[in-house]
Amino acid sequence: VNALDLAHAALEVAGSEADAVVQVERSGLARFARSEVHQPTLIENVVLTLRVVHDERFGAATTNKVDEAGRAELARRARAAAESAPPDEMFPGLAPPAEVPDVEGYDEETAQLSPDDQARLAAAAIDAAADVSAYGLFTSAVTELAVASTTGVSASQRMTDATVLVVAADEERSGYAERTSWRASDLHPAAVAEAAVETAKRTAATTEIEPGEYAAVLEPYAFGELLGSFAHDSFGALGLLEERSYLTGRLGEQIFDERISIADDSLDRRGLPKAFDFEGTPKQRVQLVEEGVARGVVWDRETAVRAGNGARSTGHSPPFDAFTSDPVPYALSVAPGDAGSVAELADLVGDGIYITRLHYLGVVHPREGVITGMTRDGTFRIRGGKIAEPLVNLRFTVSVPQLLRRLYGLTQDVELVSSQEFYGARYPKGVLCPALACGQFTITGLGSRPGI
Amino acid sequence: VYPESFAAGSGFARPCQLRLGRQDIRAESSCERSERISRGRFPRQELESCLGVRDLCAAAVDAATGAGAEYADARVVLKRSQLVATKNGRVERMTDAESEGIGVRVLVGGAWGFAADRRLSAGGARDAALRACTFARAAAGRHSRALAPIEPRVATHRSSFERNPFDIPLADKFDLCLRADEALQAPDVIVRHAMVRAQREHKLLLSSEGTDVEQVLVECGAGIDCAASRDGIFQMRSYPTLEGGSSSQAGWEHVEALGIVGEAPRVVDEATALVRADVCPSTVTTIVLDADQMASQVHESVGHPTELDRVYGTEASYAGTSFLEPDDLGSLRYGSELMNITSDPTTPGGLGSLAFDDEGVAAERTPIVERGVLTGFLSSRETAAQIGSGNGGSMRADGWDRMPLVRMTNLHLEPGEGTLDDLVADVDEGVYMETNRSWSIDDKRLNFQFGTQLAREIKNGKLGRMLRDATYTGITPIFWASLDAVAGREAWCLFGWTNCGKGQPGQSAHVSHGAAPARFRNVQVGVKA
Repeated sequence: VNALDLAHAALEVAGSEADAVVQVERSGLARFARSEVHQPTLIENVVLTLRVVHDERFGAATTNKVDEAGRAELARRARAAAESAPPDEMFPGLAPPAEVPDVEGYDEETAQLSPDDQARLAAAAIDAAADVSAYGLFTSAVTELAVASTTGVSASQRMTDATVLVVAADEERSGYAERTSWRASDLHPAAVAEAAVETAKRTAATTEIEPGEYAAVLEPYAFGELLGSFAHDSFGALGLLEERSYLTGRLGEQIFDERISIADDSLDRRGLPKAFDFEGTPKQRVQLVEEGVARGVVWDRETAVRAGNGARSTGHSPPFDAFTSDPVPYALSVAPGDAGSVAELADLVGDGIYITRLHYLGVVHPREGVITGMTRDGTFRIRGGKIAEPLVNLRFTVSVPQLLRRLYGLTQDVELVSSQEFYGARYPKGVLCPALACGQFTITGLGSRPGI
Repeated sequence: VYPESFAAGSGFARPCQLRLGRQDIRAESSCERSERISRGRFPRQELESCLGVRDLCAAAVDAATGAGAEYADARVVLKRSQLVATKNGRVERMTDAESEGIGVRVLVGGAWGFAADRRLSAGGARDAALRACTFARAAAGRHSRALAPIEPRVATHRSSFERNPFDIPLADKFDLCLRADEALQAPDVIVRHAMVRAQREHKLLLSSEGTDVEQVLVECGAGIDCAASRDGIFQMRSYPTLEGGSSSQAGWEHVEALGIVGEAPRVVDEATALVRADVCPSTVTTIVLDADQMASQVHESVGHPTELDRVYGTEASYAGTSFLEPDDLGSLRYGSELMNITSDPTTPGGLGSLAFDDEGVAAERTPIVERGVLTGFLSSRETAAQIGSGNGGSMRADGWDRMPLVRMTNLHLEPGEGTLDDLVADVDEGVYMETNRSWSIDDKRLNFQFGTQLAREIKNGKLGRMLRDATYTGITPIFWASLDAVAGREAWCLFGWTNCGKGQPGQSAHVSHGAAPARFRNVQVGVKA
């Protein structure tokens, strides 16, 4: 299926002003547990969404029956929806045509990976874990996004993405590592498994600590997930307009340590590059925080019109099947610091805790950026500036802004942490971030020991 | 675990307790049990878009066994889902999605393979079958997987409803949302939100063992929520549950019974009061939780840890494992004598109700915790064979393009005695909490922390001043051991959620929980960052 041709074919039967979005997925995911693949999934799908507009009313419908009859039926349902909808004077209309940037993000070798290759790369991770059991996955996909409209939008992009993820674990120990890239050749499954095993082997015989405030080192996995959770309410335009963003009333103010700069940058080739959003609007790099100062949020055309203050879309219209209608950053990027390694960060902390990754975050207060969650697969004490004995999993309840104000340091190296959980239609996304050391990470409870 | 966007979202939630809506929700849970299984076939026009769908499944199974599979099943799913949502007087979202395809699952040399193809054609079915076999061979493990035996069933099932939600004009759905939106207007309210949704899932499962099961499941739901902001304080209130509303396997009559327009003034009043309320203090005290929060508590701290795949570690790389061991069955003390938990895929109106799961195992009511002791797990045919008990029955897939996983169907806290007032009357000092707002629990499902939308002080057996930002935290078996009262059947409510996340690739399951308000002693409340 040619995604862009299909989008144009849908427009032909729309019968009025319309835009069409096509998502094509061909993916393979070899999920493993106890060092054996147990859930191998191959998916082939094409999803077409048609949105028609007439008389300030819009209606949308989606299908994966994309033949001629399927498209006609789709158009019928979309038109019926538009006729039923109340008029919306603030509907921004369909996007105008625009030049989209050239981005990378497609690798032919990754696109060509067969089920045999995917199984072989999963096996490479499993084998490298050797005497510690491996739980995780290898996945790769080729996806395509195309957007066309009767207003002249006509854009398409083919993307590849691949992830290897390993929890190395046995009864009493567990460690974690992950790599994501649009080039599968970057991943090195065996090295990822070895890193997870190395962490796991240091987690035996855990001890407990008293809840309270600790200085902490967060590996990129932990920092990236925490920031992604904070970003959902705080770095999107709707959160700002609805006053659940921490940035509400704080734009232009110093909110974090001056060493913290955060952008949303879909154009960065180190991430999972995207050229345009789900309305075909070009992606822009958006500076969210610059040297600790709140600079802005990401916008789509809908929120820009609603704000009515001259705001323009930054190319962040969300997919139709998203659980949210918020424009949210899918390509967060945190500027690096100057620490040469996580060991240097531990030295900055002196006495504190070391956190590999987090589990199951919950937003306690969106407006205050308060988030709770657990640590998992590699939590350690830091003593005398060195990573020391392993700890049980810890419950934390932290204010992300406070954490980023009491910054000790960031590593020079940044890593791409996948934030894709493969729900719905595949759309690769991730956070580029360094490891971080901070002076305040509040532990509010103790959990189980590491291990299965 | 919920999909990331929910976990990271603003965490709206759900009430029903002490409100007009309670009776409406009860009405659905006490409706007469429908005739669940009929032997007759659907008229062929049911499969309007693919007349030969049964033949396609059979061809896929044959192709798989011909390619060396010792077991194969083929599942065709035709799904239509519709969502209408308004926000601040405008259309917020409008989706009307159809999806169809075939998923073929095989065992080749004891290894699983699964492939899914959207094409309902001879080519699509054959490709999916052969690709599944290829993947199974390529990814073979050291152990051969066995399935608990079942008697293959040939049956059809259609969930009951009075009014097909897809027959209700879209204009009426927009109108209902906009009327609720209007009723949510108030000076401090900055976000008004209303939604209605509906889904029809038509699926056919054929297996190489002779299973031939066709089911049509129809569900719908609705909900409202609002956000109030005053002097930098931001609070949310919703009805009848989380932001995604509460759904039921029922017709439009369920949406009408929820009465979202009539509930709106109360929701607004409470949101307006919350931005003026004091913060819940930090202390160890007695808590009384409403039915909604109890449903969340059951979901996270009983439902997920009793999924047998988690117990065996096969969900370790994403949602996590369990503090339970296989040997705990029949002996582990989960909580106090008052704790009784039942898995019931036959609950009328339950979002997880079905006649057969996605492995073709017939639905059966199963005790999970009886008088505080663990007596059951949620299982698949594979995990049932591993533990040597039962034959599964909890395998569910999120559409045609995902492998079935062990999932909750409907998991209930059985009622006790008395009313909410009776529970409160026995408390000198404590906190009453209503409607879940945030949730988090560790990978073994031991350490949890919940926040609720609304709380009230309890003093001398009476509900007092309103409190905001209430949270509580605990360790699963210690917490359940401190359960000292569950309210009776009159206070028992059924909730239906559509956002239970699990698996890689991710799958979102639709589940129901019935629960009554309950009381726990010596609980840490008011967790401070």
